[in-house]
Amino acid sequence: MFELFCNIGLFVFLVYSYFTHVIEAKIPKSYLKNPNVIHPSAWPKAIIILLLICLAVNIYKIIKKNKGNPDFTFAKFVENSKEFFKSKMFIGMLILIAASFLLEPLGFVVTAALLMFSYGLLLGEKKVWRMAIVSVVVALLMHILFSGLLDVTLPRGEVPFLRNFALFLENLF
Amino acid sequence: MSLGQMFASGLSAVWGGGTMFLMVVLAIILGTIFGALPGVSATMAVALGLTFTYTMGPVPAIVFLVAIYCSSITGGSITAILFKIPGVPSSAPTTFDGYPMAQRGEAGKALGVALIASAVGGLFSALVMFLLSEPLAKAALAFGQGDLFAITFLGLSILVVLDTDHILTTIISGLLGLLLACVGQDPMAGVARLTFGQVNLLSGMEMIPVLIGLFAVTEVLKQTNTKKRLSADDGVGGTKGKVNTKMPTLKELLSIKWVLLRCSIVGTVVGILPGAGATIASFMCYTMENKLSKYPEKFGTGIIDGIAASEAANNSATGGAMVPLLCLGIPGGNAAAVMASALALKGVQMGPLLLTNQPEYLSATFITMIITNILMVIVAIGIAKVFAQILAIPYYYLGPIILLLATIGSYSEGGFVGVKVMVIAGIFGIIVKYMHLNSAAIVLGLVLGGMCEAHFSLAFQGAHIVTQPMTFSDIMQKIFGALFGTPIAAVVMTVCILMLLSPLYMPLLKKAKK
Repeated sequence: MFELFCNIGLFVFLVYSYFTHVIEAKIPKSYLKNPNVIHPSAWPKAIIILLLICLAVNIYKIIKKNKGNPDFTFAKFVENSKEFFKSKMFIGMLILIAASFLLEPLGFVVTAALLMFSYGLLLGEKKVWRMAIVSVVVALLMHILFSGLLDVTLPRGEVPFLRNFALFLENLF
Repeated sequence: MSLGQMFASGLSAVWGGGTMFLMVVLAIILGTIFGALPGVSATMAVALGLTFTYTMGPVPAIVFLVAIYCSSITGGSITAILFKIPGVPSSAPTTFDGYPMAQRGEAGKALGVALIASAVGGLFSALVMFLLSEPLAKAALAFGQGDLFAITFLGLSILVVLDTDHILTTIISGLLGLLLACVGQDPMAGVARLTFGQVNLLSGMEMIPVLIGLFAVTEVLKQTNTKKRLSADDGVGGTKGKVNTKMPTLKELLSIKWVLLRCSIVGTVVGILPGAGATIASFMCYTMENKLSKYPEKFGTGIIDGIAASEAANNSATGGAMVPLLCLGIPGGNAAAVMASALALKGVQMGPLLLTNQPEYLSATFITMIITNILMVIVAIGIAKVFAQILAIPYYYLGPIILLLATIGSYSEGGFVGVKVMVIAGIFGIIVKYMHLNSAAIVLGLVLGGMCEAHFSLAFQGAHIVTQPMTFSDIMQKIFGALFGTPIAAVVMTVCILMLLSPLYMPLLKKAKK
């Protein structure tokens, strides 16, 4: 059922995109005056049309394949969804989303330590203190290695104290 | 300068009284380590290597940078095998068989095959270029936009044979990848498309964050839900903390000799075409070997043939790309572009006159590539053995470390947006799994989409020029001219059409045979 909903969702999204977002700005008149050029919308529109045809066939195939399948019901889908929202994978997704938003204000060192600590516990490490120490050490070492030694710019954070600390780490070597 | 003189001049440049030879070894060590670190791409490795060359003369600098360039691309396969993080798009097919082998505790063998295949591919292309650089450069110049579109489209046609059991979902995946490649400004008019008002998407979808998300992040998320994995002291894949660093045997290597030869040839030819590149070569060769194999069902489950095909192809293509770079001054990719600027800094005048004006630079480049590829096997195997031990780390440490490395890689390529794209791609990878779509096909579409559209647009513009607004007949003539306008394009496009239609006629042919 989830597969069917995803396909239908994608179909609807593509129809919406076709009519509203394929071209989002005015095309220069000078470009349109040239009779030999291809219209900027031609390529994405062709792909969307092909995708819509394929998705329609796929939706039909999914329905046909699951005819008479007792698990192919809305009630079962709701039950599975509830299970998913309680799963470790979903918590992992939330941790990742949070980390991607924290990276800019907190910088790499703090975000990396928090991400490593929370994900490590999620993956089954039971010794909290050991995980905390390892997380901080790994985050510091990575910042020093990549930013200090290899000149890969990493986010320093917007908080002045954290920014200064990141700069201190980068200038160690 | 004769070939013999070029060879001697190149050899003396690389040997340089022994000091230069040691510099090559140092460059290989640095290049392999840089390549193996996610976030430090081949482009960045060459840029980092530049700092070592400020005080060097032109020839030693070229030797040093070429050695870093070649070994960093090979180093990229290490993370593809161990963590499913392809450092460069051309390493993506290496993950298909490399990662399952590493999961089974055969990381050493997988890395050994990858390094030896890389060396064979690199060596083959270097030798071919040394002998044929002049005529090859002339041949590459003769390729028009229509021909280049046909070659890129051939790469896309592979879609239908990536997963023959699920052709429809594989085609949907490829089309999704092509649509993702449309995000941002269009290549001809510069008009924003499919950005949904996000200014950060105007420059297009960053490829590396999507790749890292779809492969590495999705894998960690999947592992989070796997009950088996939670006996974390087992290390990855329940290998009980033991990682077999045993290298492949001679018998195993001999069993893939034809794979190596075929993929080195195809990779070199594809690499020479300006703008085609290592990604098309590696996907093309992986699929080609899948089709030619006596056991195609084993591809993707962790066999050495798959790794050998991908690595021999991408390394030979990288070597092949040196032809348009040096002889035409056309860099094939980002890393080649940095190489071009680094060489220009040292006074190398890339272009058709290089062979007559500065033959010593050309010979030094090719001899360095040959020596680097030989030495790389010894040096990189040592490094790979150390890296292979990383898999013995319990997954509650290794999983988050992979996520941190993925974050660094995505941030260095796309900034904060890159990290967000990586996370979205990682979650999308899970949806892809439930929808029975194919991640590899999405990546193939994304990587080749931009190239395909740009080549087609230019070929369309150049075919059947009209002065009045186009009629339907003009449009058809232009499309036909763009697709079949030259003999090369016509032949390649016919092959593409036959491949695309194969799911329709192959069952009929099989029935008729029975």
